[in-house]
Amino acid sequence: MKKALLMAAFFLAACNSADAPTPEAAKGAAGGPPPPPPYQMRAAMPAGDRLAAGRSGEELFSNRCGSCHLAGGMGTNLLTKQRMMAGEPPENGLLANRKDLTGDYVKAVVRQGKMAMPRLSRTEVTDPELDAIAAYLGKAGQ
Amino acid sequence: MKLTLPPRVSPTQFDAALKAYVDVVGKEWVLASDEDRDAYSDIYAPGSEEEWPASAAVSPASLEEIQAIVRLANQHKTPLWPVSRGKNLGYGTAAPRMPGSIVLDLSRMMKVHELNAELGYCVIEPGVSYFDLYEHIQREKAPLWMSVPGNAWGSVLGNALDHGMGYTPYGQHARNLCGLEVVLPDGDLMRTGMGAMENNHSWHVFPLSFGPDWTQMFTQSNMGVVTKAGVWLQPAPETSLQLTFDIPNEQDIGWVVDTVTPLKTAGVIEQNVFIPSWLGKIVLKGQRKDFWDKESAIPEWRVQELLKEHKLGYWQVQIRFYGDETLNKARAEIVKKAFKQHLDVPPHEHWWRQGDPVNQYDVTMGVPSAVALQMGDWVGGRGAHMGFSPVVPATSKHVLGQLNRSRKIIADHDVDFYASFTIGGRFATNINMLMYDRDKPEQVANIRKMFDALIAGTAEAGYAEYRTHLGWMDKVNDTYNFNNNAQRRLNEKVKDAIDPNGILAPGKQGVWPSIYRDQPEGGKA
Repeated sequence: MKKALLMAAFFLAACNSADAPTPEAAKGAAGGPPPPPPYQMRAAMPAGDRLAAGRSGEELFSNRCGSCHLAGGMGTNLLTKQRMMAGEPPENGLLANRKDLTGDYVKAVVRQGKMAMPRLSRTEVTDPELDAIAAYLGKAGQ
Repeated sequence: MKLTLPPRVSPTQFDAALKAYVDVVGKEWVLASDEDRDAYSDIYAPGSEEEWPASAAVSPASLEEIQAIVRLANQHKTPLWPVSRGKNLGYGTAAPRMPGSIVLDLSRMMKVHELNAELGYCVIEPGVSYFDLYEHIQREKAPLWMSVPGNAWGSVLGNALDHGMGYTPYGQHARNLCGLEVVLPDGDLMRTGMGAMENNHSWHVFPLSFGPDWTQMFTQSNMGVVTKAGVWLQPAPETSLQLTFDIPNEQDIGWVVDTVTPLKTAGVIEQNVFIPSWLGKIVLKGQRKDFWDKESAIPEWRVQELLKEHKLGYWQVQIRFYGDETLNKARAEIVKKAFKQHLDVPPHEHWWRQGDPVNQYDVTMGVPSAVALQMGDWVGGRGAHMGFSPVVPATSKHVLGQLNRSRKIIADHDVDFYASFTIGGRFATNINMLMYDRDKPEQVANIRKMFDALIAGTAEAGYAEYRTHLGWMDKVNDTYNFNNNAQRRLNEKVKDAIDPNGILAPGKQGVWPSIYRDQPEGGKA
């Protein structure tokens, strides 16, 4: 069952033209949905005190949120579908491409959760880490 | 979420305990606001999240901090609910069994102590996720593969300790554990297996000890806090071949199981073979409302229409071989010949060789992904799921019996039937995925009633669940009823002997320490 659900993601992930797969990866089911992008390595956890400001928001986003929000991730797949239904290009499924997010909105969703997204604790993403991530993603407020 | 105190702990005592924890870990790592409590609740709770509320969470960063917290918990009588990363989705997430327990969140414990490519194992802490370990292996360029569960957001150790399953030859995750380091309920420290000897070189390679070995006592358990463990990893194969068979009819699962099991027990097939039913393929084509616009279960005639429209078999079997190309070819020939006796259509074959890209969603290749969580989207709204997971012998008689029995109970409750079987050797686990919208109380009530009926009906027929949600731990424990529940009575005796204050995970898997046993505030009633 789980594998079949993963298949659902093939379709959505393949909407992201920025990550065109290699032909070798396309040897899945003939006539089936296009293949997903390859595994996306997250940035390593930035060194330094997790309770202090000043670490890279981009790297923190990749490390703390990347299990779902890089190309082909669960969050990206659902958001791609949502954005396309709203008439936006599929690339907007990637949070890093969004121009309409504010820092406060990012913080609210991380702490309160939204639809399929569970809430994240202050151990998983500390407040200073969330500040940095919100500053990185919150392009609308800048 | 409002504060629910642990049983018989006053607000003053609770505050004193939190202050003591702050002295150990620092104030930022003791989390006790309403928002913090929300973050540790069960996001898929069948009903209110407040049914299983944590009072707070404390996040240690080292073994020494864990020992200090456990000792303080004894002093303050504040029960702890240890979680590795708290991603036990579908079974309770990070939420505790007993209301008011303090979550001991080990997700800051993220060290990979050793990655041994020569013998194929790693030694890791509970906070290491599947993503962390996968990326560590890639960065080290170690020729090793992991076995991952469908949703790999969680902890490698947490999943293995809770008897999670994967789909490679290393898919029975608890069996990959070799050598645990454990903080006992009194704060003492012990090591299982060969680790019982100081500096023993075989700790993470020999799975037994001298005399009784306690490793299994700490899985699905409330007898200790695992702080570090050895986990066996698969040598990266040179090649891999996958055969995909579409199986037309529901009752065909009988011959499929009788074909696969002997090949699996003989070692021709090495992986755990996952066999999902048709609904798994429909979910990739849209939401439930696109195929059936009523709340009632999708009727059989519509199922048959959908199978025809989408050219699907009722089941799909994918069998993957790992290793040397010649061996893989030979194994595949044996499997194809066995299937040909029942099925004219040859399987789709897909070779993979070192250097080829790996499909990031292929759980049979050990790549971690969280996309399984997308299933919430199928029902729409705040979709959630629970799994009903009994174990049966891997023969047609038992598998068909289980299929027909649970299918009837699920139909009687007017819920969609969505089953899979995973053949792990002599046994098959049968996961019945029950999906519901958390914001529809009548759906939630129906699912809960059905869950009770499934447990009772399955137990009556002689089978039991191997894992369950917090809310059914006591009920499933009750079904393990040989000699007046002798197993539970032994577990309780051991629990009381080593944890007289009942501070570690009271009620986990239906094992209650005496001080909370039969207490209505313990939630057992």
